[in-house]
Amino acid sequence: MASSIVRSGFLLGAAACSRRGTTAGRRGFASSAHHDDAYEAAKWEKITYLGIATCTILSIYNLSKGHHHSPDPPAYPYLRIRTKEFPWGPDGLFEIKHHSEDHH
Amino acid sequence: MIESQRHSYHLVDPSPWPISGSLGALATTVGGVMYMHSFQGGATLLSLGLIFILYTMFVWWRDVLRESTLEGHHTKAVQLGPRYGSILFIVSEVMFLFAFFWASSHSSLAPTVEIGGIWPPKGIGVLDPWEIPFLNTPILPSSGAAVTWAHHAILAGKEKRAVYALVATVSLALVSTGFQGMEYYQAPSTISDSIYGSTFFLATGFHGFHVIIGTLFLIICGIRQYLGHLTKEHHVGFEAAAWYWHFVDVVRLFPFVSIYWWGGI
Repeated sequence: MASSIVRSGFLLGAAACSRRGTTAGRRGFASSAHHDDAYEAAKWEKITYLGIATCTILSIYNLSKGHHHSPDPPAYPYLRIRTKEFPWGPDGLFEIKHHSEDHH
Repeated sequence: MIESQRHSYHLVDPSPWPISGSLGALATTVGGVMYMHSFQGGATLLSLGLIFILYTMFVWWRDVLRESTLEGHHTKAVQLGPRYGSILFIVSEVMFLFAFFWASSHSSLAPTVEIGGIWPPKGIGVLDPWEIPFLNTPILPSSGAAVTWAHHAILAGKEKRAVYALVATVSLALVSTGFQGMEYYQAPSTISDSIYGSTFFLATGFHGFHVIIGTLFLIICGIRQYLGHLTKEHHVGFEAAAWYWHFVDVVRLFPFVSIYWWGGI
């Protein structure tokens, strides 16, 4: 008896949630007319193209600049910490050091 | 079949994937520890474990697709499980990233004397936030706009446009990951360069990892949309991917402001 009350209460709650759930996507409008989605889709399509154009312009501008390399800093104890060797050897992943022949 | 059951829930068939996933997790963790302490066989066990986990994910989710799209078990009541599950998972991810931002703030707001009492620490070469980081910052929101376009296209029943929208979403995501890889390659500091390196690379690295996972999820949605699995009333998997993608997208803005911009000046 109690379990059937609980179950019907749950189903009611589930039904209410699922109705809200299906519109939980990105629709800010309350109407459920389907032509709204076509309008929204077209709107977001235009926004996407605007975004792509902006990013392309920014990329070209950014990547055409060179960047200067600052000189190496002094060997402070907190830089290039190697208290425990990497499992793959003494060098970092992107470093190629030529002194590693000494360690073989 | 589903017509013969007198309730709207899904009682799943017995499956080997939970145990195979657990064994994969065991192999990954033990192998990982062995590898990091240079025990023999560690690297092999770790690789096997990871492959096992990936395989389990593939077959488990393939079963979910079969049970839902092809066998019709996912009634409205059943859909609530994945819906709320996705939301809770994203909340847990927010907590995870919150921890890394806390760590970064802990070290950067009151820099210790050992690193010169300043932030960034003395001797750390910092990336110009207005180069690649600033470039990546509009790429992900554009990708977010594209996934919104895809969602509305699915809801409007414009199935082909939705595929194009998902292609745009994934392409932007891949470009963003490419730029991030370039940035890592060119970075003057490494993860072993003081607490700055640790917090910077963990926060940006995990974000990047989440971008890659999200991209993969969106690629699968794109394939499913192309194959006609998603309908305008029923596309929980796509919604989960879109929510995840928006999470990744929004989270990106926080490191840009706090770690790249504020952390570099």
